[in-house]
Amino acid sequence: MQSRTFALLAVASTLALAAGVVACQKPTPKGNAVLGASQSIKDLMQKRGLTDGDVEAALRTYVPSGKLDDYMIFASGGQSGQIITIGVPSMRILKVIGVFTPEPWQGYGYGDEGSMAVLAGGKQGTHEIKWADVHHPNLSETKGDYDGQFIFVNDKANARVAVVDLSDFMTKQIVPNPLVSSDHGGAFVTPDTDYIVETSQYPAPLGREYVPITEYKDKYRGLAMFWKFDRQKGRIDVANSWAVELPPYTQDLADAGKLVSDGFVFINSFNTEMAIGGTLEGKPPIESGASQNDMDYLHVIDWRKAEKLVAAGKATTIKGIRVLPMSVTAEEGVLSLIGEPKSPHGCDVSPDGKDIVVGGKLDTHGTVYSFEKVKALIDAKKYEGKDAYGVPILPFKEAIRGQVEIGLGPLHTVFDDKGNAYTSVFLESVVAKWSLKDLTLIEKLPVQYNIGHILSAEGDTVSPDGKYVVAMNKMSIDRFTGVGPLYPQNFQLVDIEGEKMRLLTDMPIGLGEPHYSQMIKTDKLKPLKIYPVGTNPYTGGIDPSATLSGKERIERKGTTVDVYMTAIRSHFVPDRIEVDEGDTVNIHLTSLEQSEDQTHGFTINMYNIDISLEPGKHQNLSFVADMPGVYPMYCTEFCSALHLEMAGYVLIKPKGDATKDKPVDKK
Amino acid sequence: MAQGADGHRHLPVLATAEPQKARRMTAARWVVVGLAATAVVLYVVALTQPWWRFWLFAPQYPKGLELIISLKGVAGDVREIDTINHYIGMGHLETAATFERRMAAYGVGAIGVLVVGLTLLSGRKLGWLAATIGLLFPAVFVADSMYWLHRFGHDLDPKAPLHIKAFTPQMFGTGIIGQFETYAAPYTGFWLALAAFGLLAIGTFVRSRVCASCGLASNCGVVCPSAFVGPGAGGGAV
Repeated sequence: MQSRTFALLAVASTLALAAGVVACQKPTPKGNAVLGASQSIKDLMQKRGLTDGDVEAALRTYVPSGKLDDYMIFASGGQSGQIITIGVPSMRILKVIGVFTPEPWQGYGYGDEGSMAVLAGGKQGTHEIKWADVHHPNLSETKGDYDGQFIFVNDKANARVAVVDLSDFMTKQIVPNPLVSSDHGGAFVTPDTDYIVETSQYPAPLGREYVPITEYKDKYRGLAMFWKFDRQKGRIDVANSWAVELPPYTQDLADAGKLVSDGFVFINSFNTEMAIGGTLEGKPPIESGASQNDMDYLHVIDWRKAEKLVAAGKATTIKGIRVLPMSVTAEEGVLSLIGEPKSPHGCDVSPDGKDIVVGGKLDTHGTVYSFEKVKALIDAKKYEGKDAYGVPILPFKEAIRGQVEIGLGPLHTVFDDKGNAYTSVFLESVVAKWSLKDLTLIEKLPVQYNIGHILSAEGDTVSPDGKYVVAMNKMSIDRFTGVGPLYPQNFQLVDIEGEKMRLLTDMPIGLGEPHYSQMIKTDKLKPLKIYPVGTNPYTGGIDPSATLSGKERIERKGTTVDVYMTAIRSHFVPDRIEVDEGDTVNIHLTSLEQSEDQTHGFTINMYNIDISLEPGKHQNLSFVADMPGVYPMYCTEFCSALHLEMAGYVLIKPKGDATKDKPVDKK
Repeated sequence: MAQGADGHRHLPVLATAEPQKARRMTAARWVVVGLAATAVVLYVVALTQPWWRFWLFAPQYPKGLELIISLKGVAGDVREIDTINHYIGMGHLETAATFERRMAAYGVGAIGVLVVGLTLLSGRKLGWLAATIGLLFPAVFVADSMYWLHRFGHDLDPKAPLHIKAFTPQMFGTGIIGQFETYAAPYTGFWLALAAFGLLAIGTFVRSRVCASCGLASNCGVVCPSAFVGPGAGGGAV
């Protein structure tokens, strides 16, 4: 071969190298052709009866297919016992996370060991509780800002708090409070999520024993529970949790101080009258009995000091929980009261931690307490008196920065990034925007109807984002197509970026009456896409019974049958399980999938077993084969073209069956 | 042969006219050796790099699936591709070319020895051999890969759930298999091997110039009498 030929080849190969670099860029598949956009927008508007404002609102909320939302709302699912996640600005439901109530799609509470244990962990009393009154979801925080790792939520009806891990959006723990009968102020976190605060609502004897209601003032109590959170384990550390005893006022909402007020918790209350009803005996109902005083009490707890007192052994243990009695907390300046008008509702700390805003509910004002003043009064022990339980009462006028005239029925307050506050005003059915700086009302926006809670983008953190407010309305009346007498709730997205607030869109909530919600920027969330193969989501590690391809087997020990099973498109191995009536069957089921969104399901008919198997997930489930017969088992999530073929049988031979020892199929 | 002014004996044409050129030729010899050595290094690096890349796009895989072939094995979305392939009865990708993969490191070792050996030892007549070997390896890689693609597309399990006509996936450019659009292109390792070949080709060209002006040119056959850079290289020692 000639050397010149090689020289040419050398040049050619250099060119090829350059071409290769270009070719190495990933090609993209051909997109669909853009459909004709010839339809005039004006015609469309006329046809659908839309105004310019409607179109602008649509443009602000429409998220085209393939694009993602900027924010995510974690909304209380109310009576559903769940948490609803919603994309913003599209206001589309993304997922309903099973929390206190079994949730079949996620296989939450239908046979798998892990979720059954979580739900069983939330047991209160002796009745199986199948629901929850989910109230206030709270995202975990680091330095007072959402960190996107966990969300906590309380169940008012059964006094429980749940921990949801946002790495997989699954509930990992439910902790029952053994002391109280209901909770409301929760589940609020301290700025670094050291504690999840849960405060009681309706006073009752701590520990729930029977005491006649005539002894209400002496024996009934409120409570502020401080659940210690172990971030490493992602679980509440019950043994290191403790509580502060409170007077039998009806404690309502709570918030933790931040920045300058870090170390304090604020809880409002109503019914300082301690009304106990008795309507049948002709006594006034609680609603009127509890509304006689013009002032109730804002409770201020110095929780760092309380923590030290608990550590120093000043607490009394009730039902395994260390409780700081009022005799100690009143004496040590850990618990103080301040007047607040009148049967108030919201209790919200401003982003800079300097102010505590209390919505008057039966009073038309928002009252703004200055933490600086409150702290000075506590330090100086400057009291205007003590209540019947010896708890010091700080002088109201010296504790506040001022009051803002908001309107009829002010409840909850959230904040933006420009120093404004937004208060929900229930009776007037408006969102009231006011200035934190000079405590003046700026604007009111009517909402439909009866707004309860309100939320804004990261609006209860040290750095709110502004942008959006959502009015969480208790009634929708005429906003949605009729679905029978039980109407959906109405979430209304409000744009707060402009000079004027602007209502953008309505979203029906048809699965419960949500209470509080929080909105987080989606880039703070880093959820898993798949699990590493064999992961038990409840331990976070590879399950000891995880089964790999080729290791599938059935092991029998006496009357216990262990089935080590795998699932991958589109088959289970093994796909036939033959057991005898009365056997205990443990199935250790691993998904071998590692492809995004390639989920399988698993059921054994008639046995109330329903498992969701996301890629890589491992689940252990157990049942007693007490109904002889032939039961198909199959994949319950349309996984592939051969999904329907992803099936098998569980064959349960009756006791004493003559064919028992004959193998059905020897091939 | 005449005795030069420097005390060495030179070919008349070089000795009298251009002692400077002699030095250039010596330098050129080392350049050739350097190019060969660099080519060998590129090959060794290529051993650790991916050689070929396939992408598969289907509606439900918006990001596509990627399959990367190297001399050591397959990488990328192998698990997923295997899972899909089982529907048509195709074998696991990892079972392909196991012998070739086991031999790849030896192959690269052999190339190293041969290239360096041929550069130093071959005479004018076989001077092009090193470059040929450099070209042969990627050519064999392409041919072997095409063989395996053909084999995998034709050795389909007749009991598979989906029966499709035997096919050969595209080794270059775009193709269609079922709902998948496929793209295939060489990748780093292959380009490094081609670059190595390029260096060897340049080396061969330079070498031919050096050898043409070597004092031993008339004496040179299959083997270089002076081991190319050895004592007497350029003809002085004859």
